[in-house]
Amino acid sequence: MAERPLSPHFTVYRWAYTMTLSILHRVSGLALSLALVAFVLWLVAISLGPASYDAFSPALQSWPVRILIALAIIALLYHFANGLRHLAWDMGWGFELRQARASAAVVLIVVAIASIACLVFLFRHGAGA
Amino acid sequence: MVQLALPPNARIDKSAGKHYPAPSGARRVRTFRIYRFDPASGQRPRIDRYDLDMEQCGPMVLDALLKIKNEVDATLSLRRSCREGICGSCAMNINGVNTLACTRACEDLGGGDVSIYPLPHMPVVKDLVTDLTTFYAQYAAIKPWLQTRTPAPPDRERLQSKHEQQRIDRPSACILCACCSTSCPSYWWNSERYLGPAALLAAYRWIVDSRDEALGERLDALEDPFRLYRCHTIMNCAEACPKDLNPARAIGAIKQMLADRQH
Repeated sequence: MAERPLSPHFTVYRWAYTMTLSILHRVSGLALSLALVAFVLWLVAISLGPASYDAFSPALQSWPVRILIALAIIALLYHFANGLRHLAWDMGWGFELRQARASAAVVLIVVAIASIACLVFLFRHGAGA
Repeated sequence: MVQLALPPNARIDKSAGKHYPAPSGARRVRTFRIYRFDPASGQRPRIDRYDLDMEQCGPMVLDALLKIKNEVDATLSLRRSCREGICGSCAMNINGVNTLACTRACEDLGGGDVSIYPLPHMPVVKDLVTDLTTFYAQYAAIKPWLQTRTPAPPDRERLQSKHEQQRIDRPSACILCACCSTSCPSYWWNSERYLGPAALLAAYRWIVDSRDEALGERLDALEDPFRLYRCHTIMNCAEACPKDLNPARAIGAIKQMLADRQH
């Protein structure tokens, strides 16, 4: 008798908002941990004085780093907004399916608008620097 | 652990599927793509395609499966009993969502082929029949019976108010079909250690029962990083439940009770 095979799971389950927001919460949390390391390096550069800061800051102006900063901002906004959703659940609110679907939509819309606003503001003011 | 890829023996053999065409003269043909695994063959799982004339078939997915078994291919294995959504036997993954074949109408599946797989991330006994031993053991682990310390009243049953009964009405409606637990990614990755939504909903049902006197022990048994706290409120369970129950809310309520008793 052959060993019982494991039935398909990840590859057959219909992708839904439930799993999407959950995995994004983890991915954004992980991204923010990494961004925090970069942020601390930046603080170290500041604390060591003008010379080290001048050596560090041109890297922040490069496009690859700008894109990483943009992603970190989006991750922060998403993790914050969806984190509020988790806080509401922890207090017992929002478990009805229509509430969970609505809160998911609100999170995505708010994050999209806030991300665009943040990025437009930052790159408009940062580009001339 | 998270393991996205199936083990080699579980991977579907794409070259092996059989095709059963519809009878000539069929007018409304629909294709059912069904996961097949025969433990006696030594072969890997495959997908067979069955073309049915929907004019000659009952409305539900279970009707289609039984038509296949009765008229096309008697080797197809599946569990079924009540055919009215109360036994939970025919739980399976239909077009990507866990549900009961007997209460899911083919018409509600939109157009196109119908894909049918066994409940996800479970050992397959044969075709659509999965091994639910662990699932049942997890149910047993939450001690799904009334536990009392005080002697029963001599002249009557342990009575409940109408309100007290209402608190357990919904969670008692669970039929243990396993649609919720096997829809949960967290359960997929930790099914040995995380109890899963079905068992936790059952735990909640006894925790909030006004007659039960083992609340402390029940909460103690759940206060564990894996048994309870692998729930990350993904909400697949509530989306999947064919009885419109909400295991996620029950789990949230248990987490709140555990937090509340800290102070």
